[in-house]
Amino acid sequence: MIEFDCEQVLDQVWTYLDGEMTEVEYLEIRAHVSECEGCGGKYEFQRRLLSLIEAKCREGVHMPGELKQRLFRLLEE
Amino acid sequence: MGALVSVQSRPPASAEDRERFEELVGEHLDGLFGAALRMTRNRTRAEDLLQETFLRAWRSFHTFKLGTNVRAWLYRILMNAYIDGYRKSEREPEIVDQEDVDEFYLYSKVHESDDFRRAGNPEEVLLDSLMDADVKGALDGLPEAFRNVVVLADIEGFSYKEIAEILGIPIGTVMSRLHRGRRQLQVKLWDYARRAHYVRSDATSPHAAEGGR
Repeated sequence: MIEFDCEQVLDQVWTYLDGEMTEVEYLEIRAHVSECEGCGGKYEFQRRLLSLIEAKCREGVHMPGELKQRLFRLLEE
Repeated sequence: MGALVSVQSRPPASAEDRERFEELVGEHLDGLFGAALRMTRNRTRAEDLLQETFLRAWRSFHTFKLGTNVRAWLYRILMNAYIDGYRKSEREPEIVDQEDVDEFYLYSKVHESDDFRRAGNPEEVLLDSLMDADVKGALDGLPEAFRNVVVLADIEGFSYKEIAEILGIPIGTVMSRLHRGRRQLQVKLWDYARRAHYVRSDATSPHAAEGGR
């Protein structure tokens, strides 16, 4: 069992939210974050920040159908 | 899974190849176009970049191994096409790392701000005050090396390992660029949020008399 203190937990916020850690580390941090109010609030905020970025920047991007047709026509040449 | 078919020399493209290519690539075109838009920041250039990517992918389709990651393969081609043809004409903002910025910059700022604290739920108020244009503007304002990594991770949802393959850089570099990019993004978002908030709460502003939101 690894024991992380608050500083170590906060250091790993991105790798945690990105799912880029081992399961053991993940479970350890999840347990810490659910019990520690300070870390919990910060983790929750970062999570919402990342989903905000995704939602705001993904929106409204549709490839014009005409462009798609033009691309596929290029293959026939 | 069947055995991988490795083709040494390029056979003439058949109608069947075309169909296979279209099927494989077609579903990723919207995503690629979105990424091209974010990178070029211009619709016409995004269309050109997408066309170049599409043609390069078709030309090297015979080297693509079925069963490997199509999406990462396509984004790698997109990035290379972008680097070869489009980046030269762009002026790069200077990369400046602020020493006092940590991973929780925005969170700390909003909690330190009397204006936001007065609002009751400062985090909520902050996140709600950010408009699409703010977030897009903040992302567009990042230095390119950071922006590309942030786009691939936060918008396209690639793993660190995939991003390393797409950009041809080590995983450690992906992580440091992503984390620095996210820190800088928070600095820019704080600027937008603060400005938006001051407009609403400033007593001398003509909008304040209407009661704001």
